[in-house]
Amino acid sequence: MSEKALSRFHQPIAVPGRRLMHHVPLAFVRKKAIGGGGRATNHEVPLIPFIDFLLCIVCFLLASFSASGELPVDKNVKLPNAENVMDMTEAPMVAITGTQILVDGTPAGNTRAIEEANRLQRVDELFNVLKNKRELYKQINPGKEFPGVVVLQVDRKVQALVVKSVFQTAAFAGYPNVSFMVGRMGK
Amino acid sequence: MAGIDTGGGHGGKRATNHEIPLIPFIDFLLCLVAFLLVTAVWSQMARINADARVPGPPKDEPPEEQKKEKQLNVEMKGETKFQLVWKEGNTVVNTIDVDRKPVPTGSNGDIRFPDLAKKIEEEWTANGAHRAGSDKKFDLAILHTDNTTPFSDVIAVIDAIYTPKRDFDFAGKSEKVPSFNVTFAVN
Repeated sequence: MSEKALSRFHQPIAVPGRRLMHHVPLAFVRKKAIGGGGRATNHEVPLIPFIDFLLCIVCFLLASFSASGELPVDKNVKLPNAENVMDMTEAPMVAITGTQILVDGTPAGNTRAIEEANRLQRVDELFNVLKNKRELYKQINPGKEFPGVVVLQVDRKVQALVVKSVFQTAAFAGYPNVSFMVGRMGK
Repeated sequence: MAGIDTGGGHGGKRATNHEIPLIPFIDFLLCLVAFLLVTAVWSQMARINADARVPGPPKDEPPEEQKKEKQLNVEMKGETKFQLVWKEGNTVVNTIDVDRKPVPTGSNGDIRFPDLAKKIEEEWTANGAHRAGSDKKFDLAILHTDNTTPFSDVIAVIDAIYTPKRDFDFAGKSEKVPSFNVTFAVN
């Protein structure tokens, strides 16, 4: 028995492969038939940069997440918009909606008396609520300077007389830095 | 995909190569992104400042003798025009009339007064006293309104007054801030 025949006997199973057109003595045909040299068809999706990107988005959204929800804008108040504005600040919020005045959502007087008198006047209930808030701040933060900031949330249709009265009341109660809450208008 | 290859794990021991399950991790991140995007609050709220210059409680020491400065009085009492009046104390220095031409902006009835804004900017460029970044004081604009003027018109005028900007040095940085402080006339 020849050596070749023996080796064939030891490896009865050969690796399967392409058989067609192997005998053609042309290099480019053989190359095509074997299938080598072509671009790989399997691709790895680059997951690591994708995860990095997702993590960045998560971090950004978590940083801007507010558990308390939206700024407390009263549903009945339609605010005007302005261009030259500043960012919001944390301060007592005085809302004027219809005839009612609210401080941080709690009723603090109404505007009917001002409208009936048709002249600038102090709103006593509002004055007392704001004054109490100021005293409370001073008790909680002894030695710290009182910022004196109050934000007015006023409906766009409210008359200037009411706005000026509330503005003046806030000033008398020790809040000289009065801001009006507005919508931000694009330039 | 991502894995930890320590090269061990032969000879019947437990394999030390581990594949990190990235696909569930990506699913988790995508859920987190979706939740945060849905609950995100994209607030457009801002504030527009006003200064309540009312006398405070009496002090023991006598008040400082203050130099009379020019103040810009913005009268919005007429239906057809605004009046800009520069005053030094009670002395009228200059009076300028500006046509009241409201320009509607947006769909919710907001208006702007671009002509007034332009004129106020010119006036401040010509007569403004506090320009340097290191100057902590601001020029004062006093707004005179009718009692019945709607708040949206008042905000449109305050927005126009805040159009001219100046440098202001704060904490080692120079910022652009409105040139005027706005307050309301009491009567």
